[in-house]
Amino acid sequence: MSEKELLKGNIAIARSALAAGCSCYFGYPITPQTEIGEFLSYEMPKRKLAYVCAESEIGAINMALGASATGAKVMVSSSSCAVSLMQEALSYIASDELPVVLVNVMRAGPGQGHIYPSQGDYNQAVIGGGNGDYKTIVLAPSSVQECVDMTFRAFYLSQKYRNPVILLLDGMLGQMAEPAIIKDNPYPETDNSSWVLNGANQRPAREIRSLEPNQNKLIRHIYEMNKKYKALEANETDWEEYQTQDADFILTAFGTMARSAKAVCNYYREKGIKCGLFRPKTLYPFPFERLRELTKTTKKFIDIEMNMGQMLRDVRLSILSNVQISFIGKPVGDWLSESEMIGAIDNIIKDCYANI
Amino acid sequence: MYKSFIISGSGGQGVISMGNALASIIMLNDFFVSLCSSYGAEMRGGAVNCEINMSDSEILSVRNDKVDYVVALNQTSFDKFISKVKENGTIIVNLSLAKVNKIRDDIKYISAPLTQEAINLGNIKITNSIALGVLLKVLGGFSYDNIKPVFEKLLKNKQNMIQKNLEALKLGLDYVLDKE
Repeated sequence: MSEKELLKGNIAIARSALAAGCSCYFGYPITPQTEIGEFLSYEMPKRKLAYVCAESEIGAINMALGASATGAKVMVSSSSCAVSLMQEALSYIASDELPVVLVNVMRAGPGQGHIYPSQGDYNQAVIGGGNGDYKTIVLAPSSVQECVDMTFRAFYLSQKYRNPVILLLDGMLGQMAEPAIIKDNPYPETDNSSWVLNGANQRPAREIRSLEPNQNKLIRHIYEMNKKYKALEANETDWEEYQTQDADFILTAFGTMARSAKAVCNYYREKGIKCGLFRPKTLYPFPFERLRELTKTTKKFIDIEMNMGQMLRDVRLSILSNVQISFIGKPVGDWLSESEMIGAIDNIIKDCYANI
Repeated sequence: MYKSFIISGSGGQGVISMGNALASIIMLNDFFVSLCSSYGAEMRGGAVNCEINMSDSEILSVRNDKVDYVVALNQTSFDKFISKVKENGTIIVNLSLAKVNKIRDDIKYISAPLTQEAINLGNIKITNSIALGVLLKVLGGFSYDNIKPVFEKLLKNKQNMIQKNLEALKLGLDYVLDKE
């Protein structure tokens, strides 16, 4: 199974979900992620697994809630404007502490927008669109291989923390093909026997619900959830650094934009200009602490996104006050090329370097 | 070593299959490769294209401002993508469905009546394999024996099409090109 294959991001996610033991998929077609459901609609019935093309996205995510409560490994995939429809259920799933993997292959918004690739749902994924004190784990792959690796990780984290996980990528990565290897699931199985609703034969009855009329119990529940988030932040925060140690300025970017940003780093390094890259791989938990540490040695940061500046907020929150932060971005749906990045960065750094 | 390609035509000409074949050939020869295809509305509207990068090191930027090679299977593609060819780059034109309008003198033009050649071979659907043969000939470094197993693998679910496509590929690789 561990042969190098030319895989589209969407197919890589669908294949990895199966390899991770996904037993139920619920979805509704929407470009640019339809291949995920299409592929699973062939493969899951063959393996006697549950594939449901739901009547709507609201239906799909609520089916995921129900199936997950019975201990099934559940995945839902969709895109931007349709993920908006799922926000209420996400809040319920988080409060019910159920493991659900939601893939959002982002297209352009706001509103209906269109199918062009985008990073416009950072805020929706990271801050959340549902009510109450809840968090969703958010993983941001930047290559097809990472689509594979992070799908496995998404299932693992969702089970381990009993929390929804969003796999967040732009339409271009979903549609793009690259060589990748799908290995066996690298993570251990999580024991869910203490909470699943699998029939109360020989054991006391259980219930999973977010309704809690008892004020003290509700408050305790929120404290417990918060403890879990603290553990997540301490243990699961993940990022990539590239030539940051001696950097005069550091680019911050996630997903596909971080790839182009890495090429931009190489371009400046070849000119003898010390450029580094900081790429969060988990958008929640965001690597605040490490980024803050870097601001002790580097005083200039340039955030690059395929939106009007959403992760920028978290970069600003990380950074000490005597540091300069600039932003380069384009409206969602408009790909930011390497040369456009270089043009914009030249403008920002021109006062510091004579040789650009 | 870094080379970039755009393959373009109308829906049904096998643009995506050709891109997939090229990317697979590149991968199985142990190069890094990326393949970005147009999707959704563009496809429904008729025009289809894909962009491929080939490198001996990790491919970071997947979208290029300009590319080394453009394959234009129809007039719309030629008109749209001639400006995307790098200086000293090459555009390969399907003469059956496009006129070579030499509005630039800093690029190479290579042309062949690809659709007509496919019809002569007995199946218009193999235009893309002839085009791929021509592209690989221009690119150099890949032999028929080298590519054959990739074709056999890609078409393993369409056994009846393997022979015809290999014939088409060979025709492309052996094509006597008008170097204009």
